Amino acid sequence: MNTPTPPVLSGTGLAKAFGPTVALGGVDLAVGRAEAVAIMGPSGSGKSTLLHCLAGIMRPDQGEVRLLGDRIDDLGERRRSALRRTRFGFVFQFGQLLPELPADENVALPLMLGGTGRHEAVRAARAWFGPLGLAGMEGRRPGELSGGQAQRVAIARALVTEPAVVFADEPTGALDQATGHDTMRLLVEATRHNGASLVVVTHDPGVAAWCDRTVEVRDGRLLTPSQPPYPPQPSSPSHPTPAPQPMSAPQSAPASQPPFPSSSHGAV
Amino acid sequence: MRTTLDLSWRLLRGGGRRGLLGSLLTLAAVAVSTGLLLFAVGANHAFAARTTADAWRHPGKAHGTPTAIEALTTDYVRGKPVKVVELAALSADAPVPPGMRHFPKPGEVWTSPALGDLMRSLPADQLSQRFPAHTPTGTLGRAAVAHPGELIAVVGRAASDPSMTAARSDKTAIDDVASPTRIDRFATSSDSSTAFLYQVLAAIASVLMIVPLLVFGGAAARLTVARRDQRLAALRLVGATPGQVVAITTAEAVLTAAAGALVGTALFGAALPALTRISIAGGSWYASDLWPGIWTPLVLLAVPVLVGISAVVGLRRVVVSPLGVARRETPPALRAVRPLIFLAIVIAFGALAGSLTSLGRAGLVILLVFLALAFLGINLVGPWIVALIGRIAAGTARGPARLLAGRRLVDDPRSAWRTVAGIALTGFVAGFLALLNPSSGMLRHDSANRLEISVPAASAESLASGARDRLHGLPAKVTIEPRKDAGPREPGQGQADSTILQATVDGGRVNVDRARTALTGLVPGHTATTPAEGALASGNLLADLRTGALTVLGVSFLIAITSAGITGASAVLDRRQTYAMLRLAGTPLDVLDKARRLETLIPLLVMGGGSLMTGLFFAAPFAAGFGISGALTLVGFVILGFGGILAASALSRPLLRAVTTDPTPRPD
Repeated sequence: MNTPTPPVLSGTGLAKAFGPTVALGGVDLAVGRAEAVAIMGPSGSGKSTLLHCLAGIMRPDQGEVRLLGDRIDDLGERRRSALRRTRFGFVFQFGQLLPELPADENVALPLMLGGTGRHEAVRAARAWFGPLGLAGMEGRRPGELSGGQAQRVAIARALVTEPAVVFADEPTGALDQATGHDTMRLLVEATRHNGASLVVVTHDPGVAAWCDRTVEVRDGRLLTPSQPPYPPQPSSPSHPTPAPQPMSAPQSAPASQPPFPSSSHGAV
Repeated sequence: MRTTLDLSWRLLRGGGRRGLLGSLLTLAAVAVSTGLLLFAVGANHAFAARTTADAWRHPGKAHGTPTAIEALTTDYVRGKPVKVVELAALSADAPVPPGMRHFPKPGEVWTSPALGDLMRSLPADQLSQRFPAHTPTGTLGRAAVAHPGELIAVVGRAASDPSMTAARSDKTAIDDVASPTRIDRFATSSDSSTAFLYQVLAAIASVLMIVPLLVFGGAAARLTVARRDQRLAALRLVGATPGQVVAITTAEAVLTAAAGALVGTALFGAALPALTRISIAGGSWYASDLWPGIWTPLVLLAVPVLVGISAVVGLRRVVVSPLGVARRETPPALRAVRPLIFLAIVIAFGALAGSLTSLGRAGLVILLVFLALAFLGINLVGPWIVALIGRIAAGTARGPARLLAGRRLVDDPRSAWRTVAGIALTGFVAGFLALLNPSSGMLRHDSANRLEISVPAASAESLASGARDRLHGLPAKVTIEPRKDAGPREPGQGQADSTILQATVDGGRVNVDRARTALTGLVPGHTATTPAEGALASGNLLADLRTGALTVLGVSFLIAITSAGITGASAVLDRRQTYAMLRLAGTPLDVLDKARRLETLIPLLVMGGGSLMTGLFFAAPFAAGFGISGALTLVGFVILGFGGILAASALSRPLLRAVTTDPTPRPD
C-alpha cells in the first residue's frame, strides 16, 4: 500500500466546543486503508471527542468528515446511525455486550439488525470464535466470560459486519497488561486481516505501540500534525516503539487457531 | 444507629438523579402496593362491618328471661328489598336496639335515611301506608344500617299484636325472614349464611389481590438494593462490616418504604369516595366501613418491615462477598420441581375437595387455605412458564427484537411474571363470570307483576275476597292456586294444605307497589312478593360475584400497570450503559423499544389472555346467547388494562432516549 492511496476516512478542520470548553480546535486526520492509528492524549485532551466526530456519533461544529470521499458529518442522525451500523465497528472499554444474550448472539446482533436471517447471522458470528481463541464460548453469557474474553467477543461483533473502519475507545482500559496486549494484538490482526482500518483511542503507549502510527492530542489540537500514513506493518514483538514487555501471552498464540473468516473486502 | 441512619440519608440524597429515580420508583411501587393492600384489607373490614350491622335483625334465642319479641320480614318497594324489624317489649328493661335511643313504643316507625326519603317522596298508598305511622318517628343511626342505600324499618308493636305471633313466610330466602322470637338482647354476631358467604368471597378476593401484591412489593423492595449493589460492594471493599452494610441499606429501603406507605395511604384515602360506589350485596358502602380502621396503622407498619426484610434477603449476595455482585452469570434454570409442587397441591385439593363440604365452616377455612396454597403454587409455576415462553419466543425469533425479548424473559422470568401474575390469577374467574348474565337468564321477568302470598287452604276463599276488597279500584285479578313449586319442605313447615293467593296487577311497578301496600296486613307476618323478587337473592349473588371479579381484575390491572412501568424503567436504568453503546454502534432505538414492548406483551397475551380465554371457554356452555353485556364489559376492561400496561411500559421510552442520546457529555 502506498502513501498516495486516498484515505478511507478523513477529518479536516474538525472543531467542537461544549459550552465554553473547547474540546477540539481544528484537527486534521486521515486514516489509510487497513491502517491502524492510535490517538493518544491525557484525560480531557479531546481524543474521545475526535473519535466521536470521526465515527459520526457527534457532529463537529466546524470541519468535515469524509468516508471513502463522501461527506458523512452533514448527514441526519438516522443516516449516520445506519452508517455506524453498516460501515463502522465499535469496541468500547467494557459493558457493551447485552448480558442476557449468549456470546454468539451478541456477535450476530449487528447482522440481524441489518436484516440478515438469524441462522445465517449466527453462523457468520460463530466463524469468528475460533480465530479469536473463543472456541467453545459461543453459548456463554457475558457474565460468564473473563474481561479479555468479553473484549474478544466485542471485537468479533465489531468485525462481523465487515466494516470499513473499526473504532476502539480504550479497548484495554479494563484489562490487565498481559490480557490487554493480547487483546490489542488480536484487534489489530483481525482488522487488518479484514481489510478494515482501525482508530484506537488510548492513553497507554503500550497499546499505541501496536498501531502503525500514533497521533497525540493536547488541548484539542494534534501535537504531531497529520503525517503521511505509515505503510501498514505486520506487528511483531520486536516493534520499535517503547512497548513494555513484548506482549507475549503466547498461551493463546494464533498458531493453533484457525484463520480469521475471509472477508469480502479481500484480506491483506 | 444514629450514624447508620445519617449515612443512609446521605446515600439516599447523594445518589444523584439516577439513584433518586430508583428510589422514586420504589416509592411509587410501595405506594401503589400499600394503597391496594389497604383496599384488600378494607374490603374485608367493610364486609365484617356490614355483617355486624346486620346481625341485630336476626333474633337469637334468649339466654335469660326474655324481655322482648323480635321478628323480621322482607318487603319490597320498586323492586328493592325493605327489611322490616318488628319489636314488642315484654318488660320495661327491653334491650335498646342498635342505632336507636330507646326501645320503640307500639306504633312507632324508625327508618333508615334512605327509606325515610322514599316514604316522603312516594305517594302514601305505595309505601308509607304499609306502616303504622305514615311518617317516620325517627331515623335509625349508623350502627343499625348496613349500607347507605339500605331500606330498613323498625316497627314498634304491642306484644299482643297478631304480627308478633304469626310465623313468617317460608317462601323467601331464610336470611330475609325470622318468625317472632323471644329475646333478651340483640345478636351481635350474625349466623346469616349470606353474610358469611360474602365474607368468604371477600377473603378469596383478598387472597387474589394480596398474593400478586406481595410478589410485586417484594420485588420493588429489592429494586433499590439492586441499584445500590455496586456502591454497597464498594462500601464493603473499604471495610464496612456486613452488619453495617445491611443496616445502611435496610434503613434506606425502610425509609423509602415508609414514605411510600404514607403516600399509598393518602392515595387510598383519595380513591375512597370512588371505591364506596362499587355496589355489592345490595348497595354501596360507607367510607368509614371501607377504611380499614385499626388495620391502617398495622398495614403502615407492616409494609416498611416487609420491605426491609425483602431488602435484607436481596442483600445477601453483597454481604457474602464484596465482589459478589459485580459479575452476572447465567441465572440457574428454574427447576422442574416447581410444576411438581403445583401438581401436588392440585391433586391434594382434588382428593380433599369432596369431603370439604361436609365440614361446614371449618371446611371453608380449609378451602381458603387451599386457595391461598394454589395461588402460591401458581406463583411457583408462573416464572417457570414465563421462562418456557421466553425460550420458545427466542428459539423461533427471526428478528432481533423478538430474540432480545425472548432472551430477556429467560434471563429474568420473575420480573415478567410480576407484571402478569395478578391477571393470570384473576383472568379465569373474570372470564368465567363475565358470560353468566344475571339480569336476563336467571330472573323471571314475566312474573314481576304477580304478587303471591301463601295462605292456609282453609281460609283461602275468605282471604281472597278480603284481598279483592282491598284491591278495589286497582287493575288487579285475585286467584287462588294450589302450590305447585313445593319441593321437599323442612319438617314442620311442610304445609301440605297451604295454597297460594295470587294477585296479578297491571300497570307496572307503581300499581304493584299500590297493591302490595293495600295487601299489607291481610295475612299477619306475611308480605306479598313476586316470584321475580324471590329469585332476586341468587341473581344478586351472581351479579355481585361478577362485580367482585371485575374489581379484583381491575386491581390486578393496576398492579400490572405499575409493575410494567417500573420494570420498564428499571430495565432501562440497569442496562443504560449497554443501551447507550448499542446506540453508538448504530442500533436503532425502535429495535430496543420493540424488544421491551414484546417482553411485556408476549407473556401478557399468553398467560393473561390465556387465563381469560379459558374462563370464557368454561362458561360458554352455561351462557348460550345471553352473556353479551358481561362479555362487552370484560372486553372493555381488558382493552383498558392491556392498553394501560403498554402505555406504562412506553413511559420509559423517554428515559431510554435520554440514556442513549447524549452518550458523551464528557469533553474527553
